[in-house]
Amino acid sequence: MPGSPFEVKALDDVNLTIKDGEFIGIIGHTGSGKSTLISHFNALEKSEPGHVFVNGMDLGDKDTKLTDVRRAVGLVFQYPEYQLFEETVEKDIAFGPQNLKLDEKEIKHRVTEAMLLVGLDDSLRKASPFNLSGGQKRRVAIAGVLAMNPSILVLDEPAAGLDPAGRRSMLELIRGIHESGVTVVMVSHSMDDVGKYCDRLYVLDHGRIEYQGTPAEVFEHGEELKKIGLDVPECAKLAAVLREKGFDIAPGTFRREDMCREILKNLKK
Amino acid sequence: MLNNVTIGQFFPGDSYLYHLDPRTKLILTIAMIVLVFIAKSFIGFALVFLFVLWCALSTKIGMKYMLKGLKPLLVIIGLTFFLNLFLLRDGEDLLHFGIIRITTGGVRMAVFMAVRLILLVLCSQVLTLTTSPIALTDAMESLMKPLTRFKFPAHEISMMMSIALRFIPTLMEETNKIQRAQMARGADFESGKLIARAKAMIPLLVPLFVSAFRRADELAMAMEARCYRGGEGRTKMKQLHYGWRDGEAFTVVALMFAVMILLNRYAPF
Repeated sequence: MPGSPFEVKALDDVNLTIKDGEFIGIIGHTGSGKSTLISHFNALEKSEPGHVFVNGMDLGDKDTKLTDVRRAVGLVFQYPEYQLFEETVEKDIAFGPQNLKLDEKEIKHRVTEAMLLVGLDDSLRKASPFNLSGGQKRRVAIAGVLAMNPSILVLDEPAAGLDPAGRRSMLELIRGIHESGVTVVMVSHSMDDVGKYCDRLYVLDHGRIEYQGTPAEVFEHGEELKKIGLDVPECAKLAAVLREKGFDIAPGTFRREDMCREILKNLKK
Repeated sequence: MLNNVTIGQFFPGDSYLYHLDPRTKLILTIAMIVLVFIAKSFIGFALVFLFVLWCALSTKIGMKYMLKGLKPLLVIIGLTFFLNLFLLRDGEDLLHFGIIRITTGGVRMAVFMAVRLILLVLCSQVLTLTTSPIALTDAMESLMKPLTRFKFPAHEISMMMSIALRFIPTLMEETNKIQRAQMARGADFESGKLIARAKAMIPLLVPLFVSAFRRADELAMAMEARCYRGGEGRTKMKQLHYGWRDGEAFTVVALMFAVMILLNRYAPF
């Protein structure tokens, strides 16, 4: 609310470019502006002043059709299961494609495809989304976005509130979507998750980009990350401790597999 | 869409009216509304108008912010003004042109009614802007207490009201979130005919109701976990106390009443 004491600056001097086919991670603590940033990606939020371009479309331009933008960028919010409203899973997933005014046959095809992609059994088609488990509901919600065939998928904390097994399968699911050729932007505050899956990371703090680069580059700032309320992956911590004790651990070790290899290498010496 | 509602909103501040007891403010606001209705003459109206204006200015809240609350009522105020202006036939003719006939009585009534409505809104605005919702419900509970003798559920009503008030922003935020999520799936809430628009509300209302029920369940559980058993024997953390300011305020308004009654008797223009 501009002009009232409730006014805040959510994003400040944020510049980033995301290329086709990348898997981007956006990290930052609660209230750092992550969610605001991603709602700019499909014009839910107007950037004033500032510009957002998606596939060459200027989202601030009045001539840009919002349906085109929303068809290109699929946005999955935090706890997307709370947006479900239809009687059946099928109808809920079909909501997006219907808004794109596709024909009946195409819609049906897309629903089947989206359900397959998120790993929902076809027997659930006629089930009520409200009777499903938390993880399944979230899959339905993600399928609802995927059914619009976005070329860019933006997810806000897709694994929040899931148990470890659900978390792992959700992240594998997203990796699968990325491998099918979709550009993925994932917001998270789990360093282990973004370290494992993302090509490049952006670290936000107070609406500004503090660090950016590959996970290895970003995790070199372990101490600074701690200062802004974040952390580094468990393995990066272990690597730092081992290095202190005089072991030879290669820089940029933060994935579990790399860590195992490094430890073995040291043991064999 | 929902960010422009200033009616019923608390505006944190620190001026004279903020330090009055909420019961005083509640009683005096009702008294001022009565005063607005018993005013009959131009002098009387001018007096109340200046007094309310003085109160509003003394809050140190920008007049602009306060007048924003008038905006949604502008239509009603305008309608009352013009209906009175054109339809009331009383006193001398000022303008007679075809079927349009404006009389002195009409002008007088139109102006009075418009000023009355503006003053009503302004009075309640001053009350809600300077009193936090919690203080307001506390005041209501305290004022309704004598009625408990007649089995009137004073505590329950004020508890329900404070819960309702407490959850307005939460549900507003929730609505906003769901709306954005559905917009990201291509939902259109703004265009189309009336029926299409009403139908477009379904994807918004179903999740909202589901989450309101979920919240109610959780809240009931949380209250029981803290041994909530209704109002009997329950003490308050913040006790209400009348102070010297309250005496002042009551005296000023009582004087206003006396002056108004005298004006009505001796200067009825």
